[in-house]
Amino acid sequence: MKWVGLIAVLFTGGLLLSAMDDFPNWGDAHSPANASPVSQYFIEKTIEDSGVPNMVTAVLADYRSYDTMFETVVVLIAGIAIMAILRVGNQIPRGARPAPVSAPASVNDDHQDIIIGTTCRLLIPVLQLFAFYVIAHGHHSPGGGFQGGVVLGTSFILAAIAKGLDPALERLPETRYVKIAFVGVVIYSAFGVACLLLGENFLDYGVLSVLLPTIDAAEARSHSMLGVEVGVAFTVSAIMFAIYANLASKGELEGGL
Amino acid sequence: MAEQYPIIVLLVLLFGALLVGLSGMVDRRVCFPLAVTALSLAVVVSVGILQQVINGGVIRYFVGGWSRPVGIGIELRIDTINALVLLTITTVGLLTAIFSFRRVQEDKTEKTPLFYVLYLLLIMGLSGMVISGDAFNLYVLLEVSSLTSYALIAMGKSRRAATAAFSYIIMGTIGASFYLLGVGYLYLRTGTLNMMEIHQAILALDGSSSTIVVAFVLILVGLMIKMAFFPLFGWLPNAYSYCPSSTSCVVAPLMTKVGVYVMIRMMLTVFGTEWVFENLQYAQWLVGMAIVAILAGSVMALAQVELKKMFCYLIVAEVGYMVGGAWMANHWGMVGAIYHIMSDAFMTLCMFLAAGIFLKQAGVVRIDQLDGMFRKMPVTMAGFVVGALAMIGIPPTCGFFSKLYLIRGGMESGHWGYVVALLISSLVNAVLFFRIFEIAYFGKKPAEGHGHHENHSTVSVIKEANVSSLVPLLASAAIIVLLGIFNSDIVELIERALNGSQVIGMNVLSGKGGQG
Repeated sequence: MKWVGLIAVLFTGGLLLSAMDDFPNWGDAHSPANASPVSQYFIEKTIEDSGVPNMVTAVLADYRSYDTMFETVVVLIAGIAIMAILRVGNQIPRGARPAPVSAPASVNDDHQDIIIGTTCRLLIPVLQLFAFYVIAHGHHSPGGGFQGGVVLGTSFILAAIAKGLDPALERLPETRYVKIAFVGVVIYSAFGVACLLLGENFLDYGVLSVLLPTIDAAEARSHSMLGVEVGVAFTVSAIMFAIYANLASKGELEGGL
Repeated sequence: MAEQYPIIVLLVLLFGALLVGLSGMVDRRVCFPLAVTALSLAVVVSVGILQQVINGGVIRYFVGGWSRPVGIGIELRIDTINALVLLTITTVGLLTAIFSFRRVQEDKTEKTPLFYVLYLLLIMGLSGMVISGDAFNLYVLLEVSSLTSYALIAMGKSRRAATAAFSYIIMGTIGASFYLLGVGYLYLRTGTLNMMEIHQAILALDGSSSTIVVAFVLILVGLMIKMAFFPLFGWLPNAYSYCPSSTSCVVAPLMTKVGVYVMIRMMLTVFGTEWVFENLQYAQWLVGMAIVAILAGSVMALAQVELKKMFCYLIVAEVGYMVGGAWMANHWGMVGAIYHIMSDAFMTLCMFLAAGIFLKQAGVVRIDQLDGMFRKMPVTMAGFVVGALAMIGIPPTCGFFSKLYLIRGGMESGHWGYVVALLISSLVNAVLFFRIFEIAYFGKKPAEGHGHHENHSTVSVIKEANVSSLVPLLASAAIIVLLGIFNSDIVELIERALNGSQVIGMNVLSGKGGQG
C-alpha cells in the first residue's frame, strides 16, 4: 500500500509541475490575475467605494462578504461537530455542574503555581485588549475578526491551561459559549438581511446609511465591515474555546488536562 | 421580493439552523417543528425559483450588488438545470426531516438540537453549491456540506460509524483539496473566479494553455472522490451504512448526486463543452471508466448480504451511469445524466427510507431477515417496491426513462459498451430486487430449526411503521412515478438550458447528436 501512496503522490506532484512553463512569470504585472479588470477594480475603487485602506479586508468583508459569511458558518460547524461527536451520552444537565466543592479544585488551589498564576493575571487582560484592537482595526491594518477572535479565544484557553478547565468553565460555561457562537453568525447575517429589508441585494451595505443619517454610503460600508468582523470574532473566539474544552476533557467538560 | 429568492432559499435554512441552535438549548421539542418549517419554506421558495426560471430565463443574482465589472462580487446563477436540482435537494431534505421525527421521540439526549443544526446547514450547503455561479464560492459551500456530513455520519451509535466517518473525512478532504487546487490553477490563468468569466477567458486562450488542462484534471479528480466514482469509492459503503438512518437518508441521495451536478456544471459552464470534448481527448477514457464503474458496482452489490451495503454499491453503479452519460459527448447522454441526477436522488431516498424503517421496526440488517415482510409491513413494502422497480427500470417510473435517455445517447454516439453495461446493470438490479421480493413475499425456506423459532417469537412484535415514517416513503415513491410520467416536460426544461443561450458551447453536443 505504501507504494500505491508513493505513486499517487508522485503523479500528483508531476501533474502540478507539468504546467509550470505555462505559468505567468513571477511578479509579472501583465499576468492574468494582475491584469484582470477585477484586480484593477479593487486597487482603484476600494477607497472610493468604502474608504477602507486595507484592501484585503475590503475584498473579504465587502466584495466577497458572502464567502466570508459561510466561512464563519464553517467555523461554527467545526465546533458544533466536535460537540456533537464528543458530548455523547453525557447527561449532566447544563448549569447544574457540581459546585466547587469537588476535591480536585481545592487540590489545585494548594498547588497553584505562583509564577503561572501571576503571569496569567498579567497576560490575559493584555491578550484580550489586543484581541479587541485586532478586531476593531481589521479594516485599517492587518487583522480582522478571524485573527482577533482566535486571540480572544486563546486568552480563555490560557486561563483553562493555567488554572484548570473547571474554573475557566465557570467563567464561560457551555450554554454561554454555544450561544455566543450562534449569535456571531446571527450578527453577520443580520447585516445582510438588513440590506435585504431596505430593498437592496443581500449584504449590499451601502443602503444601511439610511439608518444613520449622518453617514454616507461609503462610511456605511466601512462600519458594516467592522460590524460583520465583530460577528466573526464572536463565533471564532467561542468556537476556539469550545474545541479546546471538549478535546481537553474528552467531551466531559470536567477536569481537563 | 421575488428577485431575492435565490438568497432567501439559503437564508431560510441558515436562520432555521441558528434558531434551532439557540432555542434548542432551552427546549428540545422546538427543534423538529422549526426544522420542518424552514425546509418547507425552502421547498416553496425553490418552486418559486423554478417558476421564475421557466418564465423569465436565467436568474443572475449579484450578492452585495457588485454586478459591474462581473467578477468582483459573487454571482448566484440559476438556469433550469440548477433550479430542478435545487428543488430536488430541498424536497429530499424536507422528506428526510419528516422521517427523522421518530428519532426525536426516542433520542432523549442533548444531541437533538445539534443534529438539526448540522442537518439544516448540510441542506443549505448543498443548495448553495448548486446555485452558485462562482468557482470559489462553490468550494466554500462544499466545505459547509462536507463538514456537516462528516459530523452527521460520525454521530452514529456504533463505533464503526466513527471509523467510517474518519476515512470519509480523509478522502473527502483530499477531494476538496484537489478541487481547490484546480480553482487556484484556473485563477492563475484567467484572473477571475466567476464561472462565466472563466469560460470567456478559456475561450480567449484558444485551448493552448496546459495550466487549464491541469486545472480541469485536478477538479475532475477531486469531484470524482466526492461523488465516489469507481476506483475512488472506498469511503462510501461504510460511511453510508453505519450512520443513523435519518442521516443516511439525506446523505446517500444527495452528496454523490451534487458531486455529479458540479462535474456537469464544470463541463457545461466553466470549461465549455467545445473545450472539454474537442480540446481534451479524455471522453473515451471516461466513458470506459464509467463502464467499469457500472459493472463493478453491480457485481459488488450482488455479493452483499446487508441491505444498506447493497444499496451503497448500487449508488457506485448509478454514479457510473451519470458520469458515462455526461462524457458521451451526446445530447441525449447529457440529458439522461442530468435527468438521472433527479431520478436517482429520489430512488436512493426511497431505498434508504425503506431500509431505515426495516431497521427500526424489525431490526433488519441482512437481506434474509426480510422474511415475510409483505405480510407484516404491507405499506412499507409497497413504497419499497416502487423504488425497487425504478432501480430496475420498469416503465411508469423515472428509472426507466433515465435509462432510456442514457441508452439512446449511448446508441447515437456509438458507445455500445456503455449500453451493454447499462443493460447488464439493470439485469443485476432485477436479480437483486426480485430476490428480496421473493424472500419478503414467500418467506425463507423453513430449513433452519432454531432460527425459525426465533423468527416466530419476533413476528408478533413487528408492526407497520408510524405515519411520520410512511409519509416520506410514500411521497418519495409518488415522486418517482410523477417524475416518470412528466419526464418529457422535465427533459424539455433540461434541453432549454442545454440548447438555448443559457449554457454556452452546446453546439458540439447537438451536432454530434445529429450524426448518430
